[in-house]
Amino acid sequence: MQLSCKYVARALWSSVFAISAVSASFAQESPFFVTYTHHMEEPGNLDVEISSTSGVPRSGQKSYFAPYLELEYGATAQWTTELYLEGQSTWADSTVFTGWRWENRYKVLRREHWINPVLYLEYEQLNEASRIQKEIEGEGPDVSSPNALLTPLHAHELEAKLILSSDYHDWNISENFIATKNFSESEGVEFGYAIGVSRPLATLASGENCRFCRENFIVGAELYGGLGSTLGFGSHDAAQYFAPVLSWSASDNGTLRFSPGFALNKQDSPVLIRFGYTYEIQNFGSNLSKLFRKKP
Amino acid sequence: MTRLIIAVAGFALLAAAQLLGENPGYQQDPNWRAPSEAAARPNPLASKPQAAAGGRKLFIRNCVECHGSDGAGIEEKHAADLQLPMVQSQSDGTFFWKITNGNSRRGMPSFSKLPELQRWQIVLYIRTLIHNPETK
Repeated sequence: MQLSCKYVARALWSSVFAISAVSASFAQESPFFVTYTHHMEEPGNLDVEISSTSGVPRSGQKSYFAPYLELEYGATAQWTTELYLEGQSTWADSTVFTGWRWENRYKVLRREHWINPVLYLEYEQLNEASRIQKEIEGEGPDVSSPNALLTPLHAHELEAKLILSSDYHDWNISENFIATKNFSESEGVEFGYAIGVSRPLATLASGENCRFCRENFIVGAELYGGLGSTLGFGSHDAAQYFAPVLSWSASDNGTLRFSPGFALNKQDSPVLIRFGYTYEIQNFGSNLSKLFRKKP
Repeated sequence: MTRLIIAVAGFALLAAAQLLGENPGYQQDPNWRAPSEAAARPNPLASKPQAAAGGRKLFIRNCVECHGSDGAGIEEKHAADLQLPMVQSQSDGTFFWKITNGNSRRGMPSFSKLPELQRWQIVLYIRTLIHNPETK
């Protein structure tokens, strides 16, 4: 299914403007793009996030830009659910819609512990042209073949993660263990991992409403990659990245994130550039339910 | 057609999630008690009352949504009235523990994502919320 860039951009922006007619609140988002922490979305709030992954090519590869829209909703204090719509545009090739994902995270323990486990389950209906690389499992995506060959190859996948996350003296340390089963092909169960560490630049809030105060910045780093599959376990044939991360609470409702990821081997693009903007909408759930109340 | 199905499914998902996310009528949860060790922790910013200004900013950003700008609690949210003597009589350590852990049974989220000192700043600001019968 090939769509024009103009259509994809119009659809994404229409969604954002339609939903942002509701009030917004302060957003203090995790700086990570791949690693998940145990911090859940606040109940009733909706995060609208537009992000992208761009791949700098090796010789013989083409550069690509893979944007995605993410709607993250806090169903309860322990359950967060998300819907993704993603696309991809490859230089001198084409722009394609690459599929959707529905993800759910459940925080197992009610209280804070030294290690906080979160269970993650995601259904993905994608095609092989997907390049957002929200996670890397198996050997990573095919970034060399043309879209015309990749888009007809559909992948119905079920992905599970065990998220272990700890807050220690204002540092967050998180580890994710990933297992994915593609029901469209017999490629076994694929594995991956992500590890992240982050910390705010300042831990005391100033009394002023400042945008460039250190308290509005969080820095950290991620390490993520594939671990092969049940047909061949190991990290040597899979893409591996090290990525510094930075987030900035640019406004009361918006957070900007940036991360350059550097490949640790030659399996994929040498550099991944990631950008993200998150807009948090407060009380989205209750405002939505009001629309369906009886008229007085 | 596929896009329409996806849109309808997404909308139904959000609506269902909201129903499950409804907060029941607020009442003190007798099981939401800080362990004695946590309740006894003193506020490390107690000698820095000027830090309450930052606490006010954090309170507006994170707490007003449910507790209201005066801390009296929004009825629709069934949130606690932070001005009440029965609430204010709790120790600083208890407030800190409750902000850190939240209470998922009552829809109160955990704010452990905030740095420790910022959570103590919020405690400092909550202490400045004074009950005013004329405004009730």
